[in-house]
Amino acid sequence: MKPPTDTLAAPAAEATDNPVAGIDQTKGDFSYNVAYAFDAGTGLSEDTVRYISSVKKEAPWILEFRLKALKKFLSMPMPTHWATKDLENINFDKIRYYLSQGQKPKRTWDEVPDDIKRTFERLGIPEQERKFLAGVEAQFDSEAAYSNIKEVVAKQGVIFVNSTEGLREHPELFKKFFAKVIPTGDNKFSALNSAVFSGGSFIYVPKGVKVAQPLQAYFRINAENFGQFERTLIIADEGAEVTYMEGCTAPKFSTSTLHSAVVELVALKGAKIQYITVQNWANNVFNLVTKRGIAHEEAEIKWIDCNIGSRLTMKYPGVVLKGRKARGEVISIALANDGQHQDTGAKMVHAADETTSNIVAKSISVGQGRSTYRGVVHIPKHLKGCKNNTECDALLINSHSRTDTYPAITVRGDRNFVQHEASVSKVNEEMIFYMQQRGLTEGQAMSLAVNGFINDLARQFPMEYSVELKRLIDLEMEGSVG
Amino acid sequence: MSSLVIKDLHVAIGDKKIVQGLSLTINGGEVHAIMGPNGTGKSTLSKAIAGHPDYTITSGDVLLDGRSILDREADERARAGLFLAFQYPSEIPGVSIANFLRAAVQARLAEGEEIDATAYYKRLYSKMDLLKIDRKFTSRAVNDGFSGGEKKRCEILQMAMLEPKFALMDETDSGLDIDALRIVADGVNTLRGPNLGVLMITHYQRLLNYIVPDHVHVMWDGRIVKSGDKSLALELEAKGYDWVKKELAATATAAAATAATVA
Amino acid sequence: MSLAFSSAMSLTGSFTADVFAAHLASLPPLPDWWLERKRAAYARFAALPMPTRTDEAWRFSTITSLTLDGFSLPLPSPALPPATIGLPATAELAFVNGFLAAAVPLAAELRARGVIVDTLQHAFHHHEALIREYLLKQTARLGSAKFSALHEAFLTDGAFIYVPRGVELDQPIAVFHHSLTANGAAFPHTLIVAEDLARVTVLEYFGSSDDSQAQLAVGATDLYASHGAQITYVGKQDWSHRALSFHAHANVVRRDARIQSLNLHLGARQARHEALSQLQAPGAFSEMLALTVARENQEFDQRTLQLHQAPNTKSDLLYKNALLDEARTIFSGLIVVDQDAQKTDAYQSNRNLMLSEAAEASSLPGLEIQANDVRCTHGATSSRIDPEQEFYLQSRGIAKSAADELLTFGFFEEVLSRLTNEDLHDALRTLIQTKFKK
Repeated sequence: MKPPTDTLAAPAAEATDNPVAGIDQTKGDFSYNVAYAFDAGTGLSEDTVRYISSVKKEAPWILEFRLKALKKFLSMPMPTHWATKDLENINFDKIRYYLSQGQKPKRTWDEVPDDIKRTFERLGIPEQERKFLAGVEAQFDSEAAYSNIKEVVAKQGVIFVNSTEGLREHPELFKKFFAKVIPTGDNKFSALNSAVFSGGSFIYVPKGVKVAQPLQAYFRINAENFGQFERTLIIADEGAEVTYMEGCTAPKFSTSTLHSAVVELVALKGAKIQYITVQNWANNVFNLVTKRGIAHEEAEIKWIDCNIGSRLTMKYPGVVLKGRKARGEVISIALANDGQHQDTGAKMVHAADETTSNIVAKSISVGQGRSTYRGVVHIPKHLKGCKNNTECDALLINSHSRTDTYPAITVRGDRNFVQHEASVSKVNEEMIFYMQQRGLTEGQAMSLAVNGFINDLARQFPMEYSVELKRLIDLEMEGSVG
Repeated sequence: MSSLVIKDLHVAIGDKKIVQGLSLTINGGEVHAIMGPNGTGKSTLSKAIAGHPDYTITSGDVLLDGRSILDREADERARAGLFLAFQYPSEIPGVSIANFLRAAVQARLAEGEEIDATAYYKRLYSKMDLLKIDRKFTSRAVNDGFSGGEKKRCEILQMAMLEPKFALMDETDSGLDIDALRIVADGVNTLRGPNLGVLMITHYQRLLNYIVPDHVHVMWDGRIVKSGDKSLALELEAKGYDWVKKELAATATAAAATAATVA
Repeated sequence: MSLAFSSAMSLTGSFTADVFAAHLASLPPLPDWWLERKRAAYARFAALPMPTRTDEAWRFSTITSLTLDGFSLPLPSPALPPATIGLPATAELAFVNGFLAAAVPLAAELRARGVIVDTLQHAFHHHEALIREYLLKQTARLGSAKFSALHEAFLTDGAFIYVPRGVELDQPIAVFHHSLTANGAAFPHTLIVAEDLARVTVLEYFGSSDDSQAQLAVGATDLYASHGAQITYVGKQDWSHRALSFHAHANVVRRDARIQSLNLHLGARQARHEALSQLQAPGAFSEMLALTVARENQEFDQRTLQLHQAPNTKSDLLYKNALLDEARTIFSGLIVVDQDAQKTDAYQSNRNLMLSEAAEASSLPGLEIQANDVRCTHGATSSRIDPEQEFYLQSRGIAKSAADELLTFGFFEEVLSRLTNEDLHDALRTLIQTKFKK
């Protein structure tokens, strides 16, 4: 196997000076030691897929599934007829598709650039976690916390394992729902994930069980969980309730520049699933994620999605409202700074009577950053009593900040109601003067205004997330004025 | 004792000259009122002193405790001790009054010094008690959806917390009914004292029934044309601004006559 | 071999190279530059592919029924159907099957002041410089490059309206386009140029006499408002209910000028309407209005672009669709604010009134904003008649059907009331109410 290469994407032409995630990745060595126990090498072929499957000791049907997906991936064109041409800068031959966990990186804490250390400090990231996040340690030792949660929920009959384990230990359950919400060929990147997936979570919550505390991927972060191609499947059985949180507000410095996850949620009758994401990849990362849930009768699925990092994120969490009175919601916050493009949004597919969906998206573009909202709302056939409400607001900070909005709404029949409202504005100058008159600097005033803009959405995050989010925005806004 | 000295100030918006040679000295503990008809440059004066970027000071100076503040940004002037109570306070959605004031208090601390949260809230609540403001008020977003009276009350609370040396009160009475006006005036009177100088800008005399000024000035065409004590305000109320106008014209004629005689 | 042949067939449909050659041969003498442009346009048309299902510019459109087969270039017809705009006009031009059939000339006094209401055929010779400067200068930006090329290649005649500097016309100018032949292809064209501080109102009508005739219409309307000029335009499209219609509309607005355009969409089986507003200089304002009554199996496919290229410009779009039966509407709008177009005010609103179970409305309200000091909003709603309002009217003794009709007219009124000319407003209200009741 060849040693890994980090330069799989052509370097972005525009130099990045994002104060948080925009560390120049050419400075400092971000690569892990090459002596992996298991390493699929670079490039993607049938051999790569077979290799991954054999390392994971998978059942034949999974290998078959992966190989079919690979064919699909290779046959599908890049979606550049609607998406950004930046996708063409991904060099699939230079990507490393599988690394097993637990490897020791060669970098030491002393080698971590000072600005990253400062960022961690200002965000108040615990010492231990800083080392993992900076790539000094390959694994964050929080096994204790994770085991604890696992133990508590296990008593309620909840399965909370990684997806490899899920496939091995609970094949019947897994197979029943796996790739049913997001078919392999849904898009080119879901096909890619289906071919090479590893890591991610498998969760099953039995009938009527309400999991009190959020299940956090953060408690067991390791190479796999922050993996490139994680695959998560969450099933909430009838009347069950669960909240899942992934990611963290701290910037994550990655050796790999393509991340393509697939997350499937199934909420059976009357179940509730809330899925919270805070994404803050370093901004050399292409983050191309497919997330969708199916909500059965009177079930509820809510995506709370916050994107701050990455070079390009394309992510449109969706809900298929399959049962009568099902509800779907997407709350989305995106912040795009120099050299970043946050292409996010939501999809709501109504497939039963009296289903309701709600989308609230707020984006902030700073410097030359670009944020894009794409939405799909579909009320087909002769449904009745369906409702959708969409609000998207964009805030532009600097004169060359950019935002786009591309919703697509289709409604059939006279018994449904959809409403879409969007606005674009800049921060009100009088408001900034008002705050300056109270003694705040322009930068502080701007931070407050931006935090105020997303405040109603940020409140929906768990406390510690929203506090970190506020600090992050303060950091991002610092360089934006003057 | 603190002083705010305005020396022969000229202010323009774009090419338009608004304030044209205004001079005034306010000492700590004094309450001055500037009255004048609409469009005479009263609000321009307060915004320009506070450092609003739309207003250009073309000549003259403003000194706070003997030091010119004109080279300072709006926030620096504020931290130096100037407070502008806005005629139309901005709405700041999503930012609670408590958090906003906390940020403003924090901005006044030395670098590296952290605000003591317990002490801050203690002080905030004592000021609110002093001004008879309900505790729930500070969890609302700054001025967002406030009535005219609530906005003005929010301004007074900020003034109490930030403890300025000088407060410029721009048309504080505009948009207020008599009850709201009384509440605001009570607030100002509560804060009145030797450490606070006040410049009240108003079109009507009625505010001065509640906040009794030490000095009253009449502003006309961008400068102060007449000064006196509180009785001047009553006289203005009774005779109207036309009286000042006539008097001005008479003075001008007399001056011209004098000039002619001398020649 | 046969494959290559059939694909060539599908690219040009009935409009083969032979048909084009015959068309050129049939024309009266014309300037060389124009013939050159027609040839170049035909080459573009023949080379460009038909829209496909994955084409973003044609998202949600029914692609399969976009056929150019089975049409022919009609001959002049002696018939002239009655048509009126319901208002006295300053001048009128009526085209039948693309040929001038009747005209009410301008008063001599206005002609003397330099106002022109002329056919393109005549203008090619008598106002060549103006025609050369303005005719078909808008590139198709919204997906119909192929059909715009077809229009240019086969354009025979149309209206040319020119109002010189400072001339203000009080009464409207009317242009009628009638298509009276089964399977006939029409290429209606109207060019309006208002010089500095000029003011003009133009009403344009498109119609067929027989709603059962299959027809093709590929038209264009271009409006140019120079410094401080004001143009009010109302277009009424009422083609045969078996017609396939493509139309390109452009408002080009310069400094402190204002164009208000209102398009009524009533006819055709499938009608694609692409409307552009180009705001070229500070103070420019374009108001884009549309009303559609979609019934039976009609499909109205409206694509719009509000292009802000200079600071301090304003555009306001309001498109309302009432959908009955199994009709479909597509609204796809895009506001583009260029990097230096600070202080832009741009609005875009699409409202769909769903009046049947099987009707389908799609909205794609888009924004691309590259300047930060702007006020841009868009909104789209699709809903039925408000049951509360319906009940309120019923409780006053109005029958449900009458209540619905009243509320639907109320829905239209928001658009009609934007017209400042009261006579025009009243005439259009009568027209649309009559049409709706039909």
